[in-house]
Amino acid sequence: MALGHRIADYYPRHRRRLVLLSAYMQFVTTATLCVLFYLSGIDPVVAAIYVILPVVFLQTFMLIIVVRYSLGPVDVLSRVIAHVSNEVNDVTPPNINNGYFQRTGLKALVDTVYALALKDSEGADRPNKPSASLELTSAILSAFPCGVIALDAHRNIIYANNRAPISEDTMGNKSVSLLFQGDDTLESWLAANETNSVTSDHMWSRVQTSEPETPSRKICDVIATYSKNSPEGLETLILTVDRTDHYAVDEEDMDFIALAAHELRGPITVIRGYLDVLSEELKDQLQPDQIELFKRLSVSASRLGGYVGNILNVSHYDRRHMQLHLHEDTLSAVYATIADDLALRASTQGRLLSVIIPDDLPTIAADRNSLTEVLANLVDNAIKYSNEGGSVEVMAVVDGGFVTLSVTDHGIGIPSSVIGHLFSKFYRSHRSRQSISGTGLGLYISKAIVESHGGRIGVSSSEGHGSTFRFSIPIYSTVADKLKNSDNGNGSIIETSNGWIKNHSKFEG
Amino acid sequence: MNKDDTIKTILIIEDDRFIGEMYVRSLQRSGFTVDWISSGGDGLIAACQKEYDLILLDVMLPGKQGNDILRQLRSDGEDKIPHSRIIVFTNFDQDDASRAAMQANADGYLIKADITPKRLIEIIGGMKRRNGAES
Repeated sequence: MALGHRIADYYPRHRRRLVLLSAYMQFVTTATLCVLFYLSGIDPVVAAIYVILPVVFLQTFMLIIVVRYSLGPVDVLSRVIAHVSNEVNDVTPPNINNGYFQRTGLKALVDTVYALALKDSEGADRPNKPSASLELTSAILSAFPCGVIALDAHRNIIYANNRAPISEDTMGNKSVSLLFQGDDTLESWLAANETNSVTSDHMWSRVQTSEPETPSRKICDVIATYSKNSPEGLETLILTVDRTDHYAVDEEDMDFIALAAHELRGPITVIRGYLDVLSEELKDQLQPDQIELFKRLSVSASRLGGYVGNILNVSHYDRRHMQLHLHEDTLSAVYATIADDLALRASTQGRLLSVIIPDDLPTIAADRNSLTEVLANLVDNAIKYSNEGGSVEVMAVVDGGFVTLSVTDHGIGIPSSVIGHLFSKFYRSHRSRQSISGTGLGLYISKAIVESHGGRIGVSSSEGHGSTFRFSIPIYSTVADKLKNSDNGNGSIIETSNGWIKNHSKFEG
Repeated sequence: MNKDDTIKTILIIEDDRFIGEMYVRSLQRSGFTVDWISSGGDGLIAACQKEYDLILLDVMLPGKQGNDILRQLRSDGEDKIPHSRIIVFTNFDQDDASRAAMQANADGYLIKADITPKRLIEIIGGMKRRNGAES
């Protein structure tokens, strides 16, 4: 198509040219006849009436028929072409399903034009367009405000835009520079996909591109999509969104929380400590009701310490800084470290606490500090949400490859409509907010701790009759090999230092 | 000199007067011989001058930080106090802080807010003196 000419304008121009040409031919024919009759001496009137006018009339009639038949297919084809073109016009496509199109074979021509147009739109047989399209795509991806990385089936990087976190070694080998926390890594996801998935999407938040303190470190959210045997060879696409500014503010907040918690712990240490000292020194002088008041003070101080511990752990967990040090332990030994405290909490609030945790249960892979926090949270909740004089039962059993501990109360229970939200951060039901104190962090961090142990946590409840919270921790023998092969902190600490003490641990040196 | 292997003498390096006096009071009542030093520099000198069975060492101290004291006592070439156990005693619940204490050959790391004096006495009662051959 010549520049400046619209497809839709071709047919009207062509028809106009043909009409003008026909008129010109008519004029030439008439003029020639007039000259011939004039030279032959025939009476002009007779010649005009008997020859010229009939010839003009007949020729006009024939020209109209010829022009009309010759213009018809041109009209149809030009309308079809205008219709399938990207040109903006008001041309209506012809109805090619009537008999005329079938008989003349024009339908086949029109069908061919439509078929070619369809092929063109699918991108085939366009020798000049792919490179243009590729250049455009590449330009878009380069300008895109996110990192884009494409991996082939062998996990080789086949494309990375200039914002992608890519590192290159001295041999020129490129690799994705993302430091994932824990087991949920890009590598583990890809390995799982290769055996389990045809297509899969995954998202990670707060992924660092390099170690902390590195000047160029960025903190990203990462989205990846996997498609096995993709025909284009792009098996995995990774999108990284730089959220450093957002998370940096977050980190400052978290640092403040950690510092504030540290400052809060000072007075808590003093309060708990002096209560302990005073109740011991004054035990022979105090009246029973005064001893009870001391116990209440101790329980409140202990609970305050628990809240601060929860807040600190949440700040670690949300920053993905929470690290558990799992080692072989028994649930009864873990519980023993806080048994006195929990018994005191129950008795001062008029609850009967019964505990059945057999000493001969299989050992578990536990971080003692964290697990005592879970136990304290669950027992504390059972006390808070049950009635004075009610009982709270703590029981542990073996359940497959896990040791399961349950905490049952016979209190107000939980409506089924809120059970799904119980383990959410800051969640407190309408009823709780009205009448029962709490931060909404206890179950959230308990779930995080249990799941970080490789366990699971859940609840069953009957409104008006009470609730049972259960959590399960893997039996040590089922995870021992994995722990020994991993960089699991305290495993080696305990083995090498011959008696490393951490809170509540017994000295074994 | 302590003839058996139980803990008898304790040095507390702690800058908070309330906390320091609290542990002095409760530990003395339980029969331990206790010295309390409130600054890092003086604490380091005291730890080297007298042979204590146990040193409770705070981390954030005026003058000299607890981890620096620990490093100087234990990991700068030689163990200057091979007969003393050192427990880092702090309210900092940072994983890298406890790891640093472990790497500097401390014998333990306790969060003060989680340990009542009664519980601390139980823990100390279960400990044995260092025999000098441990590293």
